Amino acid sequence: MSKTVHVQYYAVLREQAGRSTEQVETHASTPAELYDELQRRHDLALPREMLRVAINEEFGEWTRPLESGDRVVFIPPVAGG
Amino acid sequence: MSGTFWFSKVPLNPDEHRASLADPAAGGYAGFEGWVRDHNEGRRVQRLEYEAFEALAIKEGERIVAEAIRQFGVRHAACVHRIGDLAIGDLAVWVGVSADHRAEAFAACRYIIDEVKHRVPIWKKEHYVDGNSGWVNCERCAQPAAHVHAHDHAHDARGDIDRSATPAIVPDYSRQMALPEVGTAGQARIDAASVLVIGAGGLGVPVLQYLAAAGVGKLVVVDGDTVEASNLHRQPLYDIDDIGKPKAEVAAHRLRRLNPSITIEAVPEPANAANVDALVAAADVVVECTDNFRSKFLVNDAAVRAGKPAVFASVYQYEGQLQVYRPSPEVPCLRCLWPNAPKDGLVGNCAQAGVLGPVPGTLGALQAMETLKLILGLAEESPDSLLVLDLLTLTTRKMRAKRNPACTHEIDANAPAVAQDEMEVSFASLEAARSAGFELIDIREGWERDFDPPHLRIERHLALSDWLHGHASIEPGPRYLIVCAHGVRSLGLTERLRELGIPSVYSLRGGLSALSDGRAPPEA
Repeated sequence: MSKTVHVQYYAVLREQAGRSTEQVETHASTPAELYDELQRRHDLALPREMLRVAINEEFGEWTRPLESGDRVVFIPPVAGG
Repeated sequence: MSGTFWFSKVPLNPDEHRASLADPAAGGYAGFEGWVRDHNEGRRVQRLEYEAFEALAIKEGERIVAEAIRQFGVRHAACVHRIGDLAIGDLAVWVGVSADHRAEAFAACRYIIDEVKHRVPIWKKEHYVDGNSGWVNCERCAQPAAHVHAHDHAHDARGDIDRSATPAIVPDYSRQMALPEVGTAGQARIDAASVLVIGAGGLGVPVLQYLAAAGVGKLVVVDGDTVEASNLHRQPLYDIDDIGKPKAEVAAHRLRRLNPSITIEAVPEPANAANVDALVAAADVVVECTDNFRSKFLVNDAAVRAGKPAVFASVYQYEGQLQVYRPSPEVPCLRCLWPNAPKDGLVGNCAQAGVLGPVPGTLGALQAMETLKLILGLAEESPDSLLVLDLLTLTTRKMRAKRNPACTHEIDANAPAVAQDEMEVSFASLEAARSAGFELIDIREGWERDFDPPHLRIERHLALSDWLHGHASIEPGPRYLIVCAHGVRSLGLTERLRELGIPSVYSLRGGLSALSDGRAPPEA
């Protein structure tokens, strides 16, 4: 079943995706599936193990269920200073 | 008397002192006499008492005279300061300089009196006509003289010689003390606090400036780097004359001028496994301001071990992340949030990122604020969020993170940690590396290779972006040398490949830019 989620990218992901936010229509059932789909679509370089995902302002598991209307944030660690 | 700076309990005799500077080659003499006057800051003064911590003061005074002789090229110079009881009109301090020409004599004389007033620990008790009295200087004000003075630049000689014989530098904290949450008690807490600041760069500069200005009693500045021209756009504590000098020492010197009443210790080396525990143990709050994951996790682990709060920040282009660790069962550490400790160079690599100065400036200011909140007891009891700021859109987002029950909150002692030293090798040239039996792999992006001279050409090119996309691999067997521009990305990839079970991978230390026949690669 298709659902709509709000996606936000940070840091190098934002650069590679060429946008900081987007609404995504997806069949993904977990954040992991969603990332795999978006990684292919935007040619995102970072493997999932290097990132964290937050859903609705809370860091969470890649395998938790994804629901329509979720706000999903993909965030890599950054070190610049 | 002996030496070039001394104290006298008896009235000074300028003629006698001047005679000691005579030199047949000298074309002139300049002298300065400081006198006791009958008023100070609107109060009528009747008499004065001077006291000094003589051993320390004489050392600093002689250092000042030696600086003047060296900097201005004068023949002889000397300074004597009274101690004990003085009446109005008495001679409090005398400075004399003999030189070949008058210009140097005047300049050196002024330098000596200005520096003596700023740096030599002398206390002055004023007895007022109204019967009251007060010490005008104080122990804290004179404290900087007890530290090694970083002579990293010529001191400016703009001292205000019309002021009384001692500078009376008492920072005015009234604007922050006016806050009900600060007040006298809060200021006392700030004064008693010791803060360790690791990294004196884009984040560290505002952290240090705000904490020094707020009167944090002790600041320890840890940085092994020297100031580079490319730092100045985001590290405005430094100036163009500082290029090439150790950051920690230049920063300490500037901060002492900003607030002479606090103690500042410079540690001109990076935080490492050998020094981090002792540094963290001595601090009340740790502020991590470096630009690399290695240091951030090192500091995280030390803070967790010592049970000390730590304030982390980092930036990427227009964004920043802020995380506060507190020793509490609810609060996640850096490893709870990032269980796969990231490798430097693999995420947002140094050649492609860039930064505008106010971005680390903003994050550093937030770190200073969090530090003061911790000192003042205003911080959240259980900070459990990563704050992410996007300064392009001016949006902030707080994302809650839980303490990870699987997290050891420290580097896994059982993991076979491969020392960085073992993964890095140094060569003077690529030819030398090939002769040593290495197969070379250039992991720079294609555009970085465009202008390579022939001797820096590496046949095998597997760009880091291809590795990260999973489009690159190597067959086990040969000894590989991974090469990038500065050796950061190559070390990150080497670590990762080792973890993936390829043991014979090494990183070229310092990258192409460190080769004796290397060249400056495209600016990161």
